[in-house]
Amino acid sequence: MSRRAAARFWLRRPGLVLAVAVLVLVLLSAFFPGLFTGRDPLSGVPAERLQPPSLHHPFGTDQLGRDLFSRVVHGSALSLKATSLAVAVGLVAGSALGLLAGYVGGLLDDVLMRIADVLLAIPALLLSLALVTALGFGTVKVAVAVGVTSVASFARIMRAEVLRVREATFVEAARASGSGPLPVLLRHVLPNASGPVLVYAAVEFGTVVLAVSALSFLGYGAEPPAPEWGSLVSGGRDYLATAWWLTTLPGLTIAATVLAAGRVSRALDGETEEISR
Amino acid sequence: MLGSRRSYAVFGLVTALSLAATACSSSGASGTGSSTPHSGGHLTFALASDPICVDPQQQGNNDAIYPARQLVDSLTDQDPKTGKIVPWLARSWEVSKDATTFTFHLRGGATFSDGTPVDARAVKDNFDGIVRLGAKSVLGASYLAGYRGTTVVDKNTARVTFKAPNAQFLQATSTFTLGLLARSTTRLPAAKRCTDHIVGSGPFTLVDYTPNKSVEERRRAGYSWGSSLWRKKGPAYLERISFKVVPESGVRTGSLQSGQADAIGGVAPQDEDGLKAAGFTLLSRANPGVPFALTANTARPLTRDARVRQAIQLGVNRKEVVDTVLSRRYQPATSALASTTTAYQNLGDRLAYAPDRARKLLDEAGWKPGPGGIRVKDGQKLSLKVVWATNFGPNQTALELIQQQLKKIGVQITLKSTSIGDYVQVRQKGDYDYAWGNTTRVDPDILRTSFSSKGLNLSRLHDSALDAVLDEQSATADAARRAGYAARAQALVLEKGYQVPVFELTTVVGVSGKVHDLDFEASSRLQFHDTWLS
Amino acid sequence: MPRYLVQRLLQAVFVLWAAFTTSFVVLYLLPGDPVSIMASGGGDTNDVSPEQIAELKQVYGFDKPLIESYGDRLWHALRGDFGISVQSGDPVTRLIADQLPATLQLTSAALLLAVVLGAGVALAATYTRRRWLRQTLLSLPALGVSAPTFWVGLILVQLVSFRWGLLPAIGNEGFRSVILPAITLAVPTSAVIAQVFAKSLRTALAEPYAQTALAKGASRRRVHFGHALRNAAIPPLTVAGVVVGNLLAGSVVVETVFSRTGIGRVTATAVTAQDIPVVQGLVVFGALAFVLANLAVDLLVPLLDPRITAAAPAVAR
Repeated sequence: MSRRAAARFWLRRPGLVLAVAVLVLVLLSAFFPGLFTGRDPLSGVPAERLQPPSLHHPFGTDQLGRDLFSRVVHGSALSLKATSLAVAVGLVAGSALGLLAGYVGGLLDDVLMRIADVLLAIPALLLSLALVTALGFGTVKVAVAVGVTSVASFARIMRAEVLRVREATFVEAARASGSGPLPVLLRHVLPNASGPVLVYAAVEFGTVVLAVSALSFLGYGAEPPAPEWGSLVSGGRDYLATAWWLTTLPGLTIAATVLAAGRVSRALDGETEEISR
Repeated sequence: MLGSRRSYAVFGLVTALSLAATACSSSGASGTGSSTPHSGGHLTFALASDPICVDPQQQGNNDAIYPARQLVDSLTDQDPKTGKIVPWLARSWEVSKDATTFTFHLRGGATFSDGTPVDARAVKDNFDGIVRLGAKSVLGASYLAGYRGTTVVDKNTARVTFKAPNAQFLQATSTFTLGLLARSTTRLPAAKRCTDHIVGSGPFTLVDYTPNKSVEERRRAGYSWGSSLWRKKGPAYLERISFKVVPESGVRTGSLQSGQADAIGGVAPQDEDGLKAAGFTLLSRANPGVPFALTANTARPLTRDARVRQAIQLGVNRKEVVDTVLSRRYQPATSALASTTTAYQNLGDRLAYAPDRARKLLDEAGWKPGPGGIRVKDGQKLSLKVVWATNFGPNQTALELIQQQLKKIGVQITLKSTSIGDYVQVRQKGDYDYAWGNTTRVDPDILRTSFSSKGLNLSRLHDSALDAVLDEQSATADAARRAGYAARAQALVLEKGYQVPVFELTTVVGVSGKVHDLDFEASSRLQFHDTWLS
Repeated sequence: MPRYLVQRLLQAVFVLWAAFTTSFVVLYLLPGDPVSIMASGGGDTNDVSPEQIAELKQVYGFDKPLIESYGDRLWHALRGDFGISVQSGDPVTRLIADQLPATLQLTSAALLLAVVLGAGVALAATYTRRRWLRQTLLSLPALGVSAPTFWVGLILVQLVSFRWGLLPAIGNEGFRSVILPAITLAVPTSAVIAQVFAKSLRTALAEPYAQTALAKGASRRRVHFGHALRNAAIPPLTVAGVVVGNLLAGSVVVETVFSRTGIGRVTATAVTAQDIPVVQGLVVFGALAFVLANLAVDLLVPLLDPRITAAAPAVAR
């Protein structure tokens, strides 16, 4: 890929540039909230409560005088942690099952794929809610509950890839040279099959952010006062008539993150071919 | 016997003074319509939470009570202005000097909506039934503590006897909990009489209760045995009342503004000014009883230490909570009882904000400042778990502020929310250090309900001195002496740090201009009999 | 054709059975001690005595070996009995049936709106020759799927109900109260429909027959709304199951935001109270809705396009 081609690629896509920037900012704020705000998200100045956005408080303040921007920034840590965990659960469990189904084949493949069908037949949120009912509330439990719903999709994609790669000449060659099934699987099949699965993980990212915040909005996430994006929106509901920023700005943050994640994942899905060509 | 009645009148006067000091804007606020009272109309009231159960004998939270209160009549009523107990279903009564025997003379002629008479037999069925309900009727169990039985003297005379003196019982007969239900209801098991089959003699009858949605009630035709306090004789003005469940306070406010609801309960403090400015009437009355407070679970290792409990009491800045989270209509707690409770004793000095003294107490107790500002002792963090119910809108914000305040003295608070339906149960399980909540009752005996080790004892106390005072309070018929015991009990509860009172609940109801004469009863619950629409 | 039908029906039954089993595993096996959760979850059981636990165990068949209690629950479920709500004491099936009309009203209004909106955007985007308009229209679905449903609902309440006072913010009464929740629920659904439909329209328009028709002098409008539309309608139908599932799941949030009664509200309260029997009933109900939607599509597609007898497999999410 030439440097000029890369430059042209990015210049033609201002939306993508913006999306990458948003994602980078959100990720940075999740890991280094101190870069963005020095204010404590948990304690505020009661006298400064319910102030509209200003230079001093870019997102305004909430009913206890806490800086909403700081709460959103610190909230991204919890929300993105939950999102990453959920995607990881889906990715790892799904890939393992898909790998197994595709590589072993036969009855095991049939059984695993039927189970995947069933998981796909239950609406994702309902399945998550059932898991939350069984596991209880909290950020980690919500993340697991959301992650499980994407296991089936990951398994399907991985299986399809494995089936494609399995018959490839280099795998045949490895097998012929006497490698055991596990080394073949890990050294040859997995690396070559994982591309589309990773792309799907990127696609899932946005969906998972939405699912995690919906569960948090419904009150199944962290206990107060820990800020999560969903619970921040829900906390502002009592102030709809008096303090619009409390619901609007955290919600906008979620929407922007999901939108950016979607744009980036679309780029990963197809457009990058243009540069590598 | 008559002598004891007079002493109650004196007792009432004492209450009157305390009530007058803080009471309410209820009268006059709604009397501005141009038309005169007239019969008919359909009133829609938005409730802040689902009643879960509309049986008045089983429920205790305010939202369950608004609909349930209209379905039943009580033996007596209590004048919200004077605190005096006045006739309702009973036209007169006698109380024995030792407060163990209560004889009620019923007015006669009243019937339940299934046609059966409200007679002495019905009184017996109800009280026997409430005792059988046991823990399902948390309030009833404490009102009827030591219940020996009810004797049907004649058709309209019932004699209720107790094994031990029970001075609060007469006031209890004015509450919704001891409201009378027909035999067809009292013979049913508790679970069967929550959504249906609730037959009372009240001014309204239950049409339908759909959980999480609404309670529909219709006027009882031919009703003519209303409380002696009510202005209108005979049936209610309103033809129908719909209680709609609207949990979000913002949406409740919006529904009043858009005319979807004629009146709303649980007006959020932040919406008060807006409603007022838009021309709506706000009715408010400070609830008597136990104020919103953190009540300790003394069986837990950290809260077993009285110094820790006292430090928490000193580390809460009540005024800041009221100023930040609530409104002018609320006031900081100044005792273990709210200021509108009978025999309330102002102990406000003890409840002043004193973080330095709190820190000193914690130092003495061996809790040294640790990482992150949270104190530690023997490697353990001073972290306390608070359970709370989501029944009162500002709860969460108030607790988050208290959390912030206590952090300043090195105490970490973790919050665990529950629905109001689960709250009692969570407390019974005991997996918490402090429970956040309030209880509404006019009579100071509510302290015994909350803190006696002989009742449910949710605080897990073993305090014989406190028990003795609470028992004396309950056994003394003489109002002045009883008030003395009640005052001692309030002081003891605070001294030992069993309770960290924070603010007094004020019931705030938003009402549109077309609603008139919506009144509070003595315990700040609503009464719709006299209400009319213009 | 009959064989195809029988096959589909058997598949549907299998999916339902499997959904039941999955929910059984999740709800009754995962927690370790479902009975004590049930006993503590409801607001009605103020004190849980050992007798009550024993009674509950018996009612739910947990006094027996696992496989037997599973069979017991399944046998009851086959007859439409999912047990009794721990919270209210009502049978789960009746609880769902009672709330179904309210949710059907909401979801069908939302579906109608979503189809009109989604198809409209897709048709307009593929028909227009203005590049900027096409780009704008095609970016709408991405926006629609990115905005959290609860947030969209709250913004609508804030503006339409509170600021402008146009529509009621709450409740189930009357047609006017459905409008805002239906719009909220339709936003993500219409986005999905628009995405799939726009793609299938583009494919159909690129087909040789469409090009031939154009070459033969047929008007653009005719080709677009005649030939292509008919052929492009099939792929969106195959996502019907997903759409129905999304609507049902979306109703949990939307009904909470707008204080409406319905299945979604029941779901939210049941989860909060850990009302296991109700949650299980709802999961199976969700799968039933998904299966029925797919079954309907399977029957419909051969009518639209006789060449297809085996419809595309059910894709989800």
